[in-house]
Amino acid sequence: MKISICSKKEGLDSLIDERFGRTENFTIIDMDTMIVETIENTAKNEASGAGGEAVKLISKYNVDIAVVPHLGPKAEKAMEAFEIKTVSQEDYKTVGEVLEAYKSGKLKEITKKKGLTRL
Amino acid sequence: MKIAVLSGKGGTGKTTVTSNFAVNIKHSIGIDSDVEEPNLHIFMDMKNSASEPVYTLYPSIDKELCNLCGKCGDFCNYHAILPAKNQVIIFRESCHDCGGCKLVCPNGAITYKKREIGKIFKGRSKYNTELHYGLLNIGEMSGVKIIDQLKKYSDLDGKTIFIDSPPGTSCATVAAVEDVDYAVIVSEPTPFGVSDMKMVVEMLREMKIPLGLIINKAGLGDEEIYHYCEDENIEILGEIPFDKKIAELYADGKIFSDSLPEYQDFFSDIYKKIAEGRRSL
Ligand code: SF4
Ligand code: SF4
Repeated sequence: MKISICSKKEGLDSLIDERFGRTENFTIIDMDTMIVETIENTAKNEASGAGGEAVKLISKYNVDIAVVPHLGPKAEKAMEAFEIKTVSQEDYKTVGEVLEAYKSGKLKEITKKKGLTRL
Repeated sequence: MKIAVLSGKGGTGKTTVTSNFAVNIKHSIGIDSDVEEPNLHIFMDMKNSASEPVYTLYPSIDKELCNLCGKCGDFCNYHAILPAKNQVIIFRESCHDCGGCKLVCPNGAITYKKREIGKIFKGRSKYNTELHYGLLNIGEMSGVKIIDQLKKYSDLDGKTIFIDSPPGTSCATVAAVEDVDYAVIVSEPTPFGVSDMKMVVEMLREMKIPLGLIINKAGLGDEEIYHYCEDENIEILGEIPFDKKIAELYADGKIFSDSLPEYQDFFSDIYKKIAEGRRSL
């Protein structure tokens, strides 16, 4: 199972990023092997639609769960279509802290706001 | 002849200038292309307007034919179409109706559906000038399609068209001034006025559209605008003084040259200057 975290720099010590579509990087952790990989968010400079493109990007790395800050309606819809579960990153500071919080079940799953997405 | 009236920002008197032109130049049509906030029709007291819907298209996917190859998503510049795991999602509002995804789809899975994005209203002002304006529906992102349609609808036929453009230098402004014969910039003689105007001048020069300036509220502010025009070789077509009477008429929603006849020649002279200048080009 793979999990992605919005991060400013590389690795587990990096600070997390408060944006999803325009985050600098995604740090992706394979929970089975504990291999940590940081990929650049190539969608961040898109004039529009960065959220959807960012979801497409992490889906290529077979991410199952994305830890995210607030998500826009398009990114939310895209997560659903790519079957990626989302959990809220809360106020943790580093990627490592977020990962620990996730492991101990402290991160809440983001439930879809019904009826809000207008496409 | 098509003349666009534009300004760096809202509230500089663009609609006032457009309406004064439209009532003083015979056989002219006034067009309000500020589809997000049209107000020319209010100023000119439009009667008997009829409306027509304006549509845009967006893709619709035949699930039977689509194999989720991803080509449409890679092609779309606006990220309006996104092939995912078991479905292709469409962000209708982001679609610019370019028609490209249908061309790149190898399986013929894409067709288009139409949806209304706004309306065009046509009628006459109480001064009997023909008026057209567009109105973008709330929540829509781009009015460019409505602006293009507005300009297509207005039959030239020897008439002069005055286009009240959206403020600034957005895509909508570009659409409004595209292929006009001349652009009249309206600006106030203040430092802010000059800085907002610079971007408009740059845009127009890039588009190779001849331009001139009407200074509104002349007497207010400072000399900077005159220096700027001299440096940049911009013709000052005329100046509307900062005058209490004019301000009161504006505030009442009146066309000021209607009550102050000395300004009727002011607008027709400027128009003549533009028309002649163009002939000599
Ligand atoms: S028509 Fe053009 S803009 Fe609309 S979804 Fe297809 S490729 Fe994108
Ligand atoms: S290009 Fe056609 S077949 Fe490929 S994902 Fe898009 S709609 Fe489906």
